[in-house]
Amino acid sequence: MTSLRYAYEMRRKQMLLPLADRLETHLKDVFKDCRRIDRISVRAKSVDRFVAKAEKEIEGKRKYDDPLTQIQDQLGARIVTFYKSDVEKLTMEVTKYFRHIESVQIVPDSESEFGYEGRHFILFIPRDIFNDEVKEDESITFFELQIKTLFQHAWSEAEHDLGYKPLTVLSSDQKRRLAFTAAQAWGADQIFDELCRQIDSAGA
Amino acid sequence: MELDSIHSFLVHPGKNLEEPLEISGTLVDKAGRLFDMLKKVFDNAEEECQHDIAFSPDDDGKQRNECRDLILSYIKNSDLTHGRHLAKKLQAVTTNRSGLGLLFLMMGESKGEIKIVVSRFPADSGILAEEKERGLSVEFLERIFMKSATSYKAAVYKGRSHDHDFWKGKAGDKQINSAESYIASYWIRDFLNSDFLTPGEAGTRRFASAVREAMNRSSDTKTKEEITALCRLLPGLKGKVASAKEILDQFQVSDETQDQVRNRFSRASLFDERFRFTPDELSKFLAFRTVELNNGGLLTAPTDKFDNVFTRETVDSSNDIVRFSTQGTVVDQRFRKEKS
Repeated sequence: MTSLRYAYEMRRKQMLLPLADRLETHLKDVFKDCRRIDRISVRAKSVDRFVAKAEKEIEGKRKYDDPLTQIQDQLGARIVTFYKSDVEKLTMEVTKYFRHIESVQIVPDSESEFGYEGRHFILFIPRDIFNDEVKEDESITFFELQIKTLFQHAWSEAEHDLGYKPLTVLSSDQKRRLAFTAAQAWGADQIFDELCRQIDSAGA
Repeated sequence: MELDSIHSFLVHPGKNLEEPLEISGTLVDKAGRLFDMLKKVFDNAEEECQHDIAFSPDDDGKQRNECRDLILSYIKNSDLTHGRHLAKKLQAVTTNRSGLGLLFLMMGESKGEIKIVVSRFPADSGILAEEKERGLSVEFLERIFMKSATSYKAAVYKGRSHDHDFWKGKAGDKQINSAESYIASYWIRDFLNSDFLTPGEAGTRRFASAVREAMNRSSDTKTKEEITALCRLLPGLKGKVASAKEILDQFQVSDETQDQVRNRFSRASLFDERFRFTPDELSKFLAFRTVELNNGGLLTAPTDKFDNVFTRETVDSSNDIVRFSTQGTVVDQRFRKEKS
């Protein structure tokens, strides 16, 4: 794994960090006229998180046999918007300006569960952002784009921080409390979206 | 790159047929005139296929594409059985209008990189004339496949990783020159389950941005006049697939103005990339046109209505003096810090 770590460190420094900067600028330009966007950010996946993902196993077998080419979120972009209906509008806008190979709405497995939610895309990196520093032919092909509401984003950040602490195994009660906060965030999203629609239609 | 193998299949139309005809296939010898002709198609595929394309996700938005799966399966096995699956896919979207076709699957590998060219030659008819001892014999022939390099459809893909690569490629249609919608629907969408790599809105946005920048940054009157004239004509290109270069050529924009536009693209290669022209996107970038006079006057109107809102007369052609006139009801007045 040392050689993989080194290879990714080099890629991150020479390719991903410059691309992340240019992709963020590009995304901000494309979506500058969209309403109620709280933030747009792009990050190059950290070396530790990349290596941890590369080492993932499923039933005793490595999930990735060629992680440098198979892991598709080495560049990760996120658009945080205010309300749920904004996510739908932005989803339409994304498909107008970017070619995707995946577009899925991540929701909990069953109706009685509350947890992570968000719209995830795997998109081709737009050709506009390549230059002599990072050439298209030598680059990774895809980046991941997540679109979330403010509440979805806030919940997933806190859940990630608490749930992925080293050597931490959450108790049943702690998991239940996390699910409770997800339910609260879900409820807040529903009500804010309803309010937004009512107020927008009243003002129309 | 060496051309390692060629499989060929005779594909009859089969769209909407419950029992389409069987598909015959064969391995093509790696020698002879047919091989030489196909080798040229294989070698020149990247140059001949001018449309950058990408496979589309499945109906659930997942990273699965039927045609890509069939191509990957053929690459892994490189045999008639797996090639025939791809031929059946082509048959299922082939109408009588498209007619009988000969599908060639050509594959090569070099230093771990695999290249596959998928090509369809249409059947034609002709007359065979043979001189015999007792005179001339003429015979009408069907199922002729022309050697002409100007009459086939193709797609080319290159890659190393089956999981990661082969999502994008290039497609071309040497059969037609103007009916872009046909290649888009039959060859790219229906058969390859693909679409243009750069969406129409993105391509038009990139073009419109370059045109606007060229207009705003140029100090050359001729350039500005040419761009103004160009923008009046552009909405007529709705749905056309063309590159920025082809659009400017079509409207006979001068080389100097073309250079001004090309320089506003972030990379020269983007100037040559084809996209489906989307006028709505253009109007976002070129919504208002402003003319500034040397007396300090600024005239602004929606781009598509400017010439109707303001009437322009030449007062003194030797000194380029013009008069603009308009009439209407004042609905608003504003102060601004800057001109734009």
